[in-house]
Amino acid sequence: MKLTFDDSVEAFRREFLDWLADNRPTDAEMAADPALSSAHLPAWAKAWTRRMFDAGWLVPSWPKELGGRDAGPVETLVYLEELTKAHIPRTTNPQGLGIVAPSILDYGSPEQIERYAMPILRGERAACLGMSEPGAGSDLAALSTRAVLDGDHFVVNGQKVWTSGANYAEFCFLFCRTDPSAPKHKGISVVLVDMDTPGITVRPLPEIVHPDKPDLNEVFFTDVVVPAENLVGQMNNGWAMANGSLAHERGMVWLNGVLMLEESMVKLLAEAPEALDRLPAQERAVAADQLVTSYIDSVAARCLGYRGFAKLVRGGSAPEQALMKAFSSEAGQRMAMRAAELMGDRSLDLGHDQAVAMGMGITSWMERYFGTFGGTISAGSSEIQRNIIAEKVLGLPRS
Amino acid sequence: MDLEFTDEEAELRDNVRDVLAGIAPTSLVRAIYEGTGDDTAVWEQMVQLDWPALTVPEAHGGLGYGFLAQAIVAEQLGLSLAPGAYLTTATQFAPAVREIGGDEVRERFLAAVAAGRITGTLALAEGGRWTPEAVQATATPVDGGWRLDGRKDSVLRGDTADEVVVVARGGAGLGAFVVPRGELEVHPRQVIDPTMAVADVVLDGVVVPADRVLAEPGPQVEEAVRRALDEAVVALAVATTATCRRIFDMTLEYAKEREQYGRPIGSFQALKHRLAEMYLAVERASSLGWFAALTIAEDDPRRHEAASLAKAAAGECQRLVVGDGLQLHGGIGFTWEHDLHFWLKRAKVGDVLFGNAVAHRAELARTLGLAATEEVFA
Ligand SMILES: Cc1cc2nc3c(=O)[nH]c(=O)nc-3n(C[C@H](O)[C@H](O)[C@H](O)COP(=O)(O)OP(=O)(O)OC[C@H]3O[C@@H](n4cnc5c(N)ncnc54)[C@H](O)[C@@H]3O)c2cc1C
Repeated sequence: MKLTFDDSVEAFRREFLDWLADNRPTDAEMAADPALSSAHLPAWAKAWTRRMFDAGWLVPSWPKELGGRDAGPVETLVYLEELTKAHIPRTTNPQGLGIVAPSILDYGSPEQIERYAMPILRGERAACLGMSEPGAGSDLAALSTRAVLDGDHFVVNGQKVWTSGANYAEFCFLFCRTDPSAPKHKGISVVLVDMDTPGITVRPLPEIVHPDKPDLNEVFFTDVVVPAENLVGQMNNGWAMANGSLAHERGMVWLNGVLMLEESMVKLLAEAPEALDRLPAQERAVAADQLVTSYIDSVAARCLGYRGFAKLVRGGSAPEQALMKAFSSEAGQRMAMRAAELMGDRSLDLGHDQAVAMGMGITSWMERYFGTFGGTISAGSSEIQRNIIAEKVLGLPRS
Repeated sequence: MDLEFTDEEAELRDNVRDVLAGIAPTSLVRAIYEGTGDDTAVWEQMVQLDWPALTVPEAHGGLGYGFLAQAIVAEQLGLSLAPGAYLTTATQFAPAVREIGGDEVRERFLAAVAAGRITGTLALAEGGRWTPEAVQATATPVDGGWRLDGRKDSVLRGDTADEVVVVARGGAGLGAFVVPRGELEVHPRQVIDPTMAVADVVLDGVVVPADRVLAEPGPQVEEAVRRALDEAVVALAVATTATCRRIFDMTLEYAKEREQYGRPIGSFQALKHRLAEMYLAVERASSLGWFAALTIAEDDPRRHEAASLAKAAAGECQRLVVGDGLQLHGGIGFTWEHDLHFWLKRAKVGDVLFGNAVAHRAELARTLGLAATEEVFA
């Protein structure tokens, strides 16, 4: 155990910071043309992704030809940390960069890699992830969107929901049922579907905060024709992708949760003294105590991550991920709730800072609080994470 | 920051665990509870194994291990409930002597600790508060030394330790003194966990000769007291969280074994989620405990804040784990015969002593600049 990183890691940090200083998108650029959804690529975002790709800073742990530099896990951690500190989004298409591209790299054909994965990495195309359906949320394997193979193409019919960025994405990494007679986990396949294919209707679903910038969508598929060569990997092997490749980068997802939490804490500590000064002694003491509890959470989240770090980076699907996911998303939720309570009557005001892309720019604690439910519901709800902890980490019998 | 055990750290941990299993089995804890045994032999065997020397600097005849080793031992003490003079001597008395004392007095008492000749404790708290600010006991210069007056609360092993570091206030600030327990008026208390015996101490004009003065009252002593306190607080936080981990492990095992309605109770989702919650609380407190231990081991400027973080988290952890641990055991956990209650009670003691979660959160509020300005000087 030790508190500090090795010198080689610090050298890596300096190298990145030097590069960042010369190559980062400016605040003015980002403010002038903010990302409107999780698959929207404003001009600055495209150029930024391209610069990172070319310089090997897009996914540092990957090889050079994929926009990396074969960096180790500790270096990756330092890299993500510095990006967050600098208030620069790593991408404006997190599903594309974090899930879709790596899955295609793992399972896709050379042609699919060339047409779909590489353009994501070069900042040219954005992707969405079509998993959830009205009848298949937590129980993803219950999905019923059908893809029927008919000669050289599939015909897709069905509906997806909560599809982040579908209103801007150029293509969709779509989970479909290809064998309805097989057990539910065994009849699922993934196809790549261009979003401008006839028969696709996207209906944005404005969210409870900033409804003017909807990110979630319903996506309807009616007799959508998809070339057979767009099947990713083997027929009926989709579940492996849901579990294996989707866990890509999960090794680092916890860090994002932690960084967001720390970021919120810094903001809260800056705003708190003035708000606390408005309160009579008794209330002040209670409110301060609440904030301190959140402060403990924020330091604990980082230590928890570092504690299980070796495991977290090794296994994409290390069950310990569940612990970090549940803890950091819920801690963020509690913090936003307490902060809103502290702000009292002022917490009712709406407030956005347009300058900062995606989520980070919300300045109202009440809106942030509602926004945090995106984290505790999506990507396996907190309840599902607890099931995973209980069964996979603690070894309790299935219900 | 790297919070994984190195091979050497893991080896020390395993050694300590194996030794404690031999010299301090749960049957000994039960014997102390039931008045048929005492912990003298535990300390004697630790002395034979040179444990008291472990973290004493080499210059004073110790083995010179750092605070991480101390925390590794503390964790095993909390897991096993091993009773005895180690915790107070090594994590309270010795750090106070080392941080506060001048060269000569330091050599005298640390060498004695390293050789296993004395046990010690720290008498700081007053009015149930373990902070320098709470000290009202007085130190007055007299011919040949200092006279101490006032009282000290809840001194761990105050009825058995050989030597007691007493912190008292003089005109120029705090001072600290090593007083033989025999010269103090000690009032042992009947407490919920007899393996953590606590006594109140009356300083009735006891006179301390110059060669037992760690530091005469002065403005610089408070910081040294705080540094010593950091060590005691973190050691107790780590031990308390370990006690909680053991409660959690026992509860988890029981949930897998105990069947009702034709299946293990651990298959009921209501209990699964509570167990997941307990696990989270233990991991949260434990990772903060190691972080705090590291800040002391490396003398990082965050050490005081980290100590409060760790102790607050340990206290929050025991609140959940003691309650749910007992509840999930059902009737069997409510019996004297079952060993569970030894850990439940130890966890409570660990929260209360050296400031509970509320007290340490209040300290954090102060260090984070959230407390009202009057409180800063209270
Ligand atoms: C912000 C956001 C972005 C999203 N982005 C995408 C996306 O890009 N692509 C995509 O495919 N999907 C996306 N989703 C969908 C997300 O994956 C689902 O919302 C999630 O899986 C939960 O499904 P559901 O909404 O149907 O809720 P349900 O599964 O119906 O759950 C309702 C409640 O029941 C609980 N519950 C369900 N099953 C259990 C159980 N076994 N034990 C205990 N409790 C249970 C849940 O925890 C929840 O509290 C997104 C969701 C959000 C909120």
